[in-house]
Amino acid sequence: MTLVLAWNNVRTNRMGFAASFAAVVLAVMLVGGSGLVVVGAATRAELNGIMGLLVLSAVVSGFVSIFVVAGILSLHVLRQRRTWALLRSVGMTPRQVSRLITAEALVVAVLANVAGCVLAVPYAALMAAFMQMTGLAPGGVPVKVTTGPFIVALVVGLAVTLLAARVAARKAVGVGPLEVLRDSAVQRRLLPWPRAVAGGAALAGGAVLLWLVPQVKLKSAAPTALGATMVLCVGASALGPVAVRGMGWLLGAVAARLDPGAGMLARSSLVAQPRRAMSAASPVMLTVALACTFLFAVETTDAAAGVTRTGPSVWVAPMLVGSAVVYTVISVLNSTAMTMAERAGEIRLLRTVGTKPQQLARAVCWETLIVTCAGTLLGTGIAAASLAMLGKAETGELRFAYSLPQYAGLVLICTLSGLAGGLAATRRARHGALLPD
Amino acid sequence: MVDHAVLLEEVTRTYGKGATEVAALRRVSIGFPRGSFTAVMGPSGSGKSTLLQCASGLDRPDSGAVRIAGQDITRFGENELAVLRRDQVGVIFQAFNLVPSLTAWQNVILPSSLARRRPDPSRVRELLHRVGLAGREGHRPAQLSGGQQQRVAIARALLGRPEVLFADEPTGALDRRTGHEVLALLREAVDAFGQTVVMVTHDPEAAAQADRVLLLTDGRIVEVLDRPSADQIGMRLGGRR
Ligand SMILES: Nc1ncnc2c1ncn2[C@@H]1O[C@H](COP(=O)(O)OP(=O)(O)OP(=O)(O)O)[C@@H](O)[C@H]1O
Ligand SMILES: [Mg+2]
Repeated sequence: MTLVLAWNNVRTNRMGFAASFAAVVLAVMLVGGSGLVVVGAATRAELNGIMGLLVLSAVVSGFVSIFVVAGILSLHVLRQRRTWALLRSVGMTPRQVSRLITAEALVVAVLANVAGCVLAVPYAALMAAFMQMTGLAPGGVPVKVTTGPFIVALVVGLAVTLLAARVAARKAVGVGPLEVLRDSAVQRRLLPWPRAVAGGAALAGGAVLLWLVPQVKLKSAAPTALGATMVLCVGASALGPVAVRGMGWLLGAVAARLDPGAGMLARSSLVAQPRRAMSAASPVMLTVALACTFLFAVETTDAAAGVTRTGPSVWVAPMLVGSAVVYTVISVLNSTAMTMAERAGEIRLLRTVGTKPQQLARAVCWETLIVTCAGTLLGTGIAAASLAMLGKAETGELRFAYSLPQYAGLVLICTLSGLAGGLAATRRARHGALLPD
Repeated sequence: MVDHAVLLEEVTRTYGKGATEVAALRRVSIGFPRGSFTAVMGPSGSGKSTLLQCASGLDRPDSGAVRIAGQDITRFGENELAVLRRDQVGVIFQAFNLVPSLTAWQNVILPSSLARRRPDPSRVRELLHRVGLAGREGHRPAQLSGGQQQRVAIARALLGRPEVLFADEPTGALDRRTGHEVLALLREAVDAFGQTVVMVTHDPEAAAQADRVLLLTDGRIVEVLDRPSADQIGMRLGGRR
């Protein structure tokens, strides 16, 4: 019976499964591949100098993977809360529901891990080729297939998937079936205590790391700043719903002024469901915070040391953080699509009371823009704090070097992929038959 | 010639294909005169909801024409349909009527907001009061009972005084007293404002409020009763079961 249910769930939730699957595959590929490069580089004495950078970029990849996989999975599980509630109302125990969710996650995790490990090898080879081209490792990096990185990637991949599924399952069955069926999201606390405490602790930890940046040895300043960014991201995404609700309210009011009908719809949905909005905003925040910290930390360090990069070596830092950024950008698309797909029924209803397709498209765009904007603001704030402290460590002043085109490019890419995800996911509801078959 | 607010000509609607094919409407032709109140009755699965959906432009029939104010709406594009729904047609469904993120009040004024009109607040208040929702204006759908949600949708459909009102079992989830109030509102729409109402119902007493009752079976209109009493309707339905 559980198997039948699980299979039917997969079939009716293809999109959620595809998104979770893709997220885990890419995560394992990223972690495994970076691991292979680091292990390969460790065999060459002449690569000692860049080892630090390589490890740092591997750590960034790992962090991003965990963050994104956990986010997507919990979104996927919570999105089906109606199904879970229905199952419980016909007599499934919370334990059984929780087992069902875990079993599904396990299947996804195993399949995706295998695929990710296979892809890790060509990915590592590609990275090595890039490193040779940009002059980071002129002699090349020997990529040999060793078991170490795979084991790490597998363990991390499986553990994160299962853990995220368990946490989401607990959340899903923690609410009574009736509350869910009546969709009482409005009545739930915006910030439950555990979440508030975890978020507060992470923010405090981030603040301590920030304070440490100018205190530690100069060599460790940049890694510490990056660590501060990561910890602050965790805190901000825990406390995010509050911030997003505030920003949604403010920016939504502007949108409602510019475009009364569509803007009003966007604002009310953001204010009513800030947690949903935060799941879409948090990959944007992550992308902006991490990429800016990494890129501009290298730039700040270079500037302090009087180094100017020319030719292919300009691309060293962007390349090292590039795959992590591509990954988070994909997850921006992924999560926007998932949060918007949930709204198909609502969009059809809006059409039946006379909302024009154009107006609906604009409402989706406004909402996505506001969410991206909120994510960008949070991410920029975090990166600026870390970079300012790094600047203090390097030059004694709270200043840092940055490149406006790179920053603008990042924000633009996030915005575009958010818009693409939102519009694509709602296309059928906006244009298809009004009564779904 | 009668002035029809809505006119269906040979409307056919078939769901599915091949072995699972279901003919929900078979060449149905019927007119709804302006300023009339029609009840649609028939066994479950006989095509009542489908008739309403096709007549209101929510669904496109496979063949045939649906004329509202003389225009064939089966040829309308999405934008024209949107304007039609916003201004001329009001619909009340069996379920899922409200936008979850909007309050009761916001849901009621939604069509006007979309058309950038500002409805008279006292009329909104009066409507909500009459459907028994005074004091609930600021509540979201999740904080309302099923029947209350449906009444918000009824207030929304009535606010714009559309030419035609389609209601799918509007009193199905209501107690007798609120049900009566809703029927009185629909009757008033017809008598005082000359609107046209088409209502699906299973309740002979509710149908007795109408000027005319259509009996549907297997996607066909099998009988039309003029101003029948509840007893007459009950007997007809009983005879068909
Ligand atoms: N989306 C659909 N796909 C396939 N068949 C459908 C669909 N909607 C309705 N049907 C079929 O069309 C027929 C008419 O359905 P309809 O919903 O119009 O019935 P109804 O008279 O409103 O019934 P009820 O009183 O139970 O609401 C039924 O046999 C139903 O099974
Ligand atoms: Mg029906």
